[in-house]
Amino acid sequence: MKTNPNIRVLLFAAPALLVFIAIKLVPVILGMGYSLTNWNGIDPSWRYVGIDNFVEIFTRDAHFWTAMVFTIRYSLFVVILLNVLALGLALAIESQRRTRGLFRTIFYLPNMISMIIGGYMWNFIFTQVVYHFSDNWGWMFFDQSWIGDPTRSFYAILTVAVWGGAGYLMVIYIAALQSVPQVLQEAATIDGAGSIRRFFSVTLPMIKQAFTICLFISLNNAFQVFDVVFALTGGGPGRSTQVVAINIYEEAFARSNRFGYATAKSTVLFAVLLAVTAVQLWIMKRREEEL
Amino acid sequence: MRRLILVLLVLVALFWLFPLLMALLNSFKTRAELFTNIIAFPDAWNLDNYVRSFKRMNYVRSLINTIIIAAGGISGIILFSAMAGWVLCRVKTRLSLFLFSAFVFSMLIPFHAIMIPLYQVARLLRLSNSLGGMGVIYSGLGVGMAVFMYHGFVKTIPLELEDAASIDGCSGAGVFFRVVFPLLLPITATISIMNVLWMWNDFLLPLIMLRNSRKYTLLLSTNMLFGQYGSDWPAILSALILTVIPVLLIYAVLQKQIIKGIVDGALKG
Amino acid sequence: MKKTAIVAVMVILLAAVAYGGGRTEASQAAPADRNVTLNVMMSFPRFTEQMEAYFDQFREKMLAERGIDVTIVLEMPSSEQYNNILQTRLSSNDAPDLFTLHASADLPTYQKAGYLADLSDQPLAATLYPNVRETVSIDGKVYAVPFESTVWGYLYNKDIFEAAGLEPADTLDEMKRVVEVLKANGHTPFLLAFQEQWVPQLMTALALGGKVSGHVPDWVERMYANNGSYREVEDVLDIIELIMANGTPRAMETGSEQGAANFANGRAAMFVQGTWSAESILSVNPNIRIGVGALPVNNDPSCTMVNLATTTSLAVYSRTPEREMALALANYILDQEASSALYESLKFNPVATVHQFDQFPWAEDASAYVAAGRAYRDLVLPPAVTDEQGKLLQSLYVNQIDREDFIRIMDQTFAAANSAR
Repeated sequence: MKTNPNIRVLLFAAPALLVFIAIKLVPVILGMGYSLTNWNGIDPSWRYVGIDNFVEIFTRDAHFWTAMVFTIRYSLFVVILLNVLALGLALAIESQRRTRGLFRTIFYLPNMISMIIGGYMWNFIFTQVVYHFSDNWGWMFFDQSWIGDPTRSFYAILTVAVWGGAGYLMVIYIAALQSVPQVLQEAATIDGAGSIRRFFSVTLPMIKQAFTICLFISLNNAFQVFDVVFALTGGGPGRSTQVVAINIYEEAFARSNRFGYATAKSTVLFAVLLAVTAVQLWIMKRREEEL
Repeated sequence: MRRLILVLLVLVALFWLFPLLMALLNSFKTRAELFTNIIAFPDAWNLDNYVRSFKRMNYVRSLINTIIIAAGGISGIILFSAMAGWVLCRVKTRLSLFLFSAFVFSMLIPFHAIMIPLYQVARLLRLSNSLGGMGVIYSGLGVGMAVFMYHGFVKTIPLELEDAASIDGCSGAGVFFRVVFPLLLPITATISIMNVLWMWNDFLLPLIMLRNSRKYTLLLSTNMLFGQYGSDWPAILSALILTVIPVLLIYAVLQKQIIKGIVDGALKG
Repeated sequence: MKKTAIVAVMVILLAAVAYGGGRTEASQAAPADRNVTLNVMMSFPRFTEQMEAYFDQFREKMLAERGIDVTIVLEMPSSEQYNNILQTRLSSNDAPDLFTLHASADLPTYQKAGYLADLSDQPLAATLYPNVRETVSIDGKVYAVPFESTVWGYLYNKDIFEAAGLEPADTLDEMKRVVEVLKANGHTPFLLAFQEQWVPQLMTALALGGKVSGHVPDWVERMYANNGSYREVEDVLDIIELIMANGTPRAMETGSEQGAANFANGRAAMFVQGTWSAESILSVNPNIRIGVGALPVNNDPSCTMVNLATTTSLAVYSRTPEREMALALANYILDQEASSALYESLKFNPVATVHQFDQFPWAEDASAYVAAGRAYRDLVLPPAVTDEQGKLLQSLYVNQIDREDFIRIMDQTFAAANSAR
């Protein structure tokens, strides 16, 4: 009694498919529909404007592209910092004996907390606590604007993003490191490889998969970053830390009220994300095959 | 060398704990105390801020609301995705490949792109302003990722078990629920952990969906206090600490499982 | 260990679901003929407790007078999120029955979209002072209950001014002298709290209002017709630069509430902030004597004016299913007996004949300007323009842009807002 396999597929996938269609697919399609209108999100009367919104994004919307460039710059920095730090912490922790568990617990801790809450805690640090260092202890390095300066607020955001995200990547790297067979390390040592050499020729190739995953995760998160920036600077001062997600949010909900236009922007963001991911997967796949 | 690394680790760890410690210390102070010395221990471990925040946040109710939402969401995600992930992995047709790709690609959709249309759909289906409805919405948002992970995990289970079961006369559903689902337990634990954390710490969705403050989650109740407290940092910090206490307790108890779950989620997904 | 943990978690989850599912809404024992639920959304979370208490009074009154049990679900999102949430609700046919709006910035948009009930025939409309009534009216019809109707300029600390023998300045040169004297006396002239964009934006609101009303009354109209430029009102940046150059440090780290607290503690002599912050200031230092001054723009005193505005107002949703109770609540906001106490506790100015309390001292200062004809009505600029002004002032403060950039970008923004309409 071989039924059509597609019927079986549909039967078992039905519940997931149903919620998926209702909660994700329909809103996406509706959103794409709105992106072709001039709807302001309030007024029930709106009209179809074709691809005007997209034309405007690509020809006249400097703010959007500034935000895009900032997001790319942020993503680049945060992905590198996160992965270097996470891998570094993982290696450092693995070199310890008794304190391993403790450090892992501590570094992972921020991942348990909502970034809205974490962001507010750091807001407290950057607007109140740092000035204690300069005003009472004379550490004048701290006597500057951390979240209100176009350059330094970038570093402040990076700090909080790394604080909030490194632990997650770190535990992935730890697991990957632990899966590297001890025999390989020993063999390399017998062959006369030093610890740095061992890291590059034995450890690194073995954790390539973890590396791929961590890059994928961190890049995706970085491109959609919202909470950290929202809680720390709100995109300011001016627009100097405005990321794409905040640009879209403001376009739709803050004073400009151009909801149709904002959905057009999110469609563009979606397309960029797809492209970045596709390229990334393609490169990684080729690399992995080469090995 | 190991000593040096240890020292470095300790320094980084202090930096990691710094914001939490600062929040904790200052949450016991009065405004005047905070102003005079922000780094020092409070003069007295005064619980006034906490008592006030606890009441204003409607803490117990908010906590229960959060638990209900997370429980509802996770039940939906687990059940729906396990079924879909399994069938999409085992039955290779063009349709199944297409559906699987749809689930995977949906992971890339930025939430902001669907926020307003999602609310409209939720209204239509009577899911908004309801704790159960929130569970359904989270299921919809979470299945993409979970299907992807179940799919990956099923690949690693030998097919023989299922074949044996169907020879023994098990129906498709029987095979799944009696044989496959129990085998999925490790990845189920992983998916539960990842998704519960996400739902617990999510802010924007409940903010839009829940209008009745009796249905507020912990984060929403805290957020509500920010406006009320103005510049009263000690009171704000006490609310922040109250909000993170439940997750930290769970983390203290289930730490190993949580970290293992997260790692498995990333590496085996 | 692992199994126990998982079982424990499941038990907790199940218990939670059972608790949630098994619990019904607490039933009211009160002998009511009818139960009504009103959803109210307001944008000032600082006043949550006061509003809740006021709504309780309303509930008692309705129960006693009409036998209707009104449950009021009050939602108070923070001001940054308010528009977002309200908009989502309205566009999904899930509007609250009553909601607050900024009277000059938002009322016209929402009225045009047909969301606002006409309140002209309601008892509340008859009690409004005529000048206040105008601020919540469109084409002669009243669309909202004014909450905060205020005459505002910058705030100054009367004690500091008197000790230094100073009067509020009428011209830019006088203001420069005031600044010098204050500095010579060891005071910081201005309190800067620029973390939230709407606070620096107040400087443009005031300076632009004065300049436009005094010198180029057709400017706004021409800007809407793409036939004007910020070049014509360039002097507004003179006073703004003076303020920025003589303010408290760490402006970008200071939020509006923190700023109010710092002003209350005497950290600076002046604060470009509306009288709506009086409650915050007095809660930190009840003894401070606050004055209101008109912000000079240039050396022509006719441009030095205060702003007449209704900021927060409460509107009734036009298609509310509970029209009767929603209107009753709107009217109750200006209730003969109860309203005075509410407005006074919120430190809001009297807006209607039902208000029996004395003007606050700072309101008297401001009223003196009005009496002298030195007041203008809030300029109505496109929201995107107002928003951009706030952003650019932050950028100006951190030296990311200069005056020329400000003028150029604002002209572009205004043109873009025109073409988006």
